[in-house]
Amino acid sequence: MARRVVWLLAAIGVVVSGCTNDPYPDADDAHKVYYTAFSEAPRTLDPAVAYTTSSHAITGNILDTLLEYHYLKRPYQLIPGIAEAVPKAEPQPDGSVVYRFRLRPGLVYQDDPCFALGGRGRRSREVVADDIAFELMRLADPLVNSPVTDPFSNIRGFAAFAGRLGALRKQQPDFQQRPLRLQYAAAGGIEGVEVAGPHALRVVLSAPYPQILYWFAMEFTSPVPWEAVAYYDGDGGRDRFEDHPVGSGPYHLAQYEKQFRIVLEANPTWYGVQHPEWAAPGAVYPSEGEAGDARAGLLGPGLSGRSLPFIERIEFHREKESIPRFNKFLQGYYDAQGIIKESFDKVIQNDRLSPEMQARGIVLKKSVSPGVMYLGFNMTDPVIGDPAGARGRKLRQAMSLAIDSKAWVDIFLNGRGVPAQSPIPPGIFGYEPAYQNPYRQVDLPRARALLRAAGYRDGIDPGTGRPLQLHFDTYATSSQQLLEYQFFVKAWREIGVDVRIDATSYNQFQQKVANQAYQIFMWGWQADYPDPENFFFLLTCAMRRSTNGGPNTANFCNPRYDALFNEMRVRGNDARRLVVIRKMRALLENERPWIELFHGEDYTLYHGWLRHVKPFGMSVPMLKYRDLDVRERARLRAAWNQPVLWPAWVLLALVVGVTLPAVLTFFRERQ
Amino acid sequence: MLAFVVRRLFYGFFVVLGVLFLLFILFFAVASPDDIARRALGEKALPQALEVWKVNHGYDKPLWPWQARDNLLADHFRSMLSFDFGRSDADDVPIARRLRQGAGVSLSLTVPIFVLGLGLAVLLSLFVAFFRETYIDTSGVFLCVLAMSVSILLYIVGAQYLVAKLLRWFPISGYDPDLRVVARFLAMPVLVGVLSGVGGDVRFYRTVFVEETSRDYVRTARSKGAGELRVMIFHVLRNGMIPILTRVVLAIPFLFMGALLLESFFGIPGLGSMTVDAINNNDFATLRVMVFIGSLLFVLGQVITDVSYSLVDPRVRLE
Repeated sequence: MARRVVWLLAAIGVVVSGCTNDPYPDADDAHKVYYTAFSEAPRTLDPAVAYTTSSHAITGNILDTLLEYHYLKRPYQLIPGIAEAVPKAEPQPDGSVVYRFRLRPGLVYQDDPCFALGGRGRRSREVVADDIAFELMRLADPLVNSPVTDPFSNIRGFAAFAGRLGALRKQQPDFQQRPLRLQYAAAGGIEGVEVAGPHALRVVLSAPYPQILYWFAMEFTSPVPWEAVAYYDGDGGRDRFEDHPVGSGPYHLAQYEKQFRIVLEANPTWYGVQHPEWAAPGAVYPSEGEAGDARAGLLGPGLSGRSLPFIERIEFHREKESIPRFNKFLQGYYDAQGIIKESFDKVIQNDRLSPEMQARGIVLKKSVSPGVMYLGFNMTDPVIGDPAGARGRKLRQAMSLAIDSKAWVDIFLNGRGVPAQSPIPPGIFGYEPAYQNPYRQVDLPRARALLRAAGYRDGIDPGTGRPLQLHFDTYATSSQQLLEYQFFVKAWREIGVDVRIDATSYNQFQQKVANQAYQIFMWGWQADYPDPENFFFLLTCAMRRSTNGGPNTANFCNPRYDALFNEMRVRGNDARRLVVIRKMRALLENERPWIELFHGEDYTLYHGWLRHVKPFGMSVPMLKYRDLDVRERARLRAAWNQPVLWPAWVLLALVVGVTLPAVLTFFRERQ
Repeated sequence: MLAFVVRRLFYGFFVVLGVLFLLFILFFAVASPDDIARRALGEKALPQALEVWKVNHGYDKPLWPWQARDNLLADHFRSMLSFDFGRSDADDVPIARRLRQGAGVSLSLTVPIFVLGLGLAVLLSLFVAFFRETYIDTSGVFLCVLAMSVSILLYIVGAQYLVAKLLRWFPISGYDPDLRVVARFLAMPVLVGVLSGVGGDVRFYRTVFVEETSRDYVRTARSKGAGELRVMIFHVLRNGMIPILTRVVLAIPFLFMGALLLESFFGIPGLGSMTVDAINNNDFATLRVMVFIGSLLFVLGQVITDVSYSLVDPRVRLE
């Protein structure tokens, strides 16, 4: 009996001593491995389709783009990626505009079996201009169903190509069975995309659209080898192209188990590794930045010009729930993490990192994201919109004066947001910190006066003799969101306007939008690229939801605004453009199709062992610029995660102590 | 018995049809094809892209047979009854492939929970019944009621905080299919799964065993000189099998379905986690497969339970 007990205790001892909370059994502290989490599995890694942050976090590291963003400079600045230079617009006499890209010669794709389609035994090949033309044709292809065809329809012949391709597929039943590149060739290609040799690409726009360059800094226009699309068709045990992107970027996809783990490894054939002598802007650490970067350790002689990437392997682990994710960050198992609501007060005190977090060497970085949240009015509504004329305008102005964005941000976002004065967020050309929108200051007396002037004395609708009743339409039905909307309802009640929240299903909401049977709604916009055009276009006539199905859900349409917009969108960031932006801002200020609420602010925590981190704001991964001190990480992880074993023995003693008397009594009585 | 099984399966077929029909109505009452498309393509997708997506996934068809011959309801029944599960609405991955990948992962979690939970519950309930009307019995029942009253969510969050964060015995969450290390990730979810279920089971089995101990055959066994341990294990346990079987056999088919909350919170990529994803993403294609399989397993579980009665108790006859 005694021997059995000893064996049992020994077995428990072995199990308990083997306990560890380390989630990385294969962790290799000698190599620079960056650990991060993802909550939602990427839907697709096809660069023509992927349009979510979770997808871009992967594709942005695997695929190269012709242009890129400067890592440190703000406002955002384009630099050459795999193109030799950022092309200049070349206006043509017929009104079209030409951009000439020249690819760096000698770029090669990551090794992949798909290249055997181009020649027996081949594992890779050079990146050529044809690959970018191929990807542009994929964007136009109706079967690919890219979500961003609209901006590319500025390329001459883009829509016509899609039409010809669709017609051929309809006319010839077996046409679709041909390889994709042959289908594209048969459809004649896109007129405005001219390949002049292996490294020269000429893109012709039918009309000026300077923002097209930003689209060439996104993975939508990355070079894609036709072999990858043809080979990865999902048949015969092969992956689908959506799950197996093949690119020429700084990393390649080593493991893609998207339900729980995605692993990227440094690509030994990347041009930055193969040709450090080029010192290409996208392949070396920058030597310039903005004020304060040097002090923050982001610039220095030891850094500038160093070859990228620093990190050898990136591991994405799936964490669906935020609390475990955050706790694993605190244990040192993730290198960076946002702050969860549940722990905000523990982490941030007086808008600074708490002493407890500082003692762990954690660093807090704040960045205002290039986006805007707003309340919108349906401008086609007879009470609140354009049909009500000056009366409606005054009503909108009065309602705008009643909303305190700062209080809303403090209550619902722990203060993480900058109250918005116009649609343009900080970091985007046209944002002026000193600008104060006269209708975005809380001024209840003025709001009441405007209501009086609109014919609604004390908010009373003279038609009914009761408070003016409006409805706030939403498809959000959670108690948290309804509480957030109640804030606005309460604010408007202060001036006598009775707003009712009308929460329905998404489907019913869409039906209301289609029938224009809505009045007030809350919406947001996150920039695709850092240009004021990407915000002001949301209020143009061409983007009206009611007539054109666009994102202008306020249905605002003003010819003067459109004229100013058209002037602004084709200009570079010069003084004249700023003047035009001010005019547009003033027009919106007065018309009030939106009540601009706030620009979201990201608070991100980084462990001290993560080096030269600068939040970027937009959905562009910049991991190739970051570095890790893995020794420091291993030391701190070991110190923070020693298992506490004594409770196991206490528990065991407790169980024995409770049951033993009964067992002993039983046997004693039996004897 | 064969006739009984065939008849039960026949009835079960209609139950499954009813479930499929209800699922269709419930799903499309809260979501629409536009909603599914929007979730799949993202908020910024243009209306024409949504339309193309709907056509590519067959959601452009009318819902009901009286609207058109080629309709969504007919497609729904056709694909389910032919076991042609198609592709996920969320990311176009073949659902059959994902089922194959997820079932093994789910079983690696649910089978240990089932086996350990059953073993522990029977052992503890025999122990408590053995010491009936002592402080062990009273405190045991009290602890059982306490354990079954607490939500599994509290067990999960509590274990993650206490065992993983404060004591640092196991990873807070995560998964690695490597056989050398998979136990490290499964230990805590299994522990939580066992502890959260054991209270109710022990209380139930204890009642069964205590009731059995007052029966005549137990008195006879004792009077013939059988020891208490022998009486408990060879007589009471054996005769208490029928109510235990009802509970146990019905649970077996559902082991394949995984554990929704445990998998979600511990980051285990099984079928339970997949079902939660499908609900969150309005992935009708995946959700209907999971519900369909769930209803099939339920029908199957009931038939197996009935058959098992006759196997353990010769008095039960299936007609």
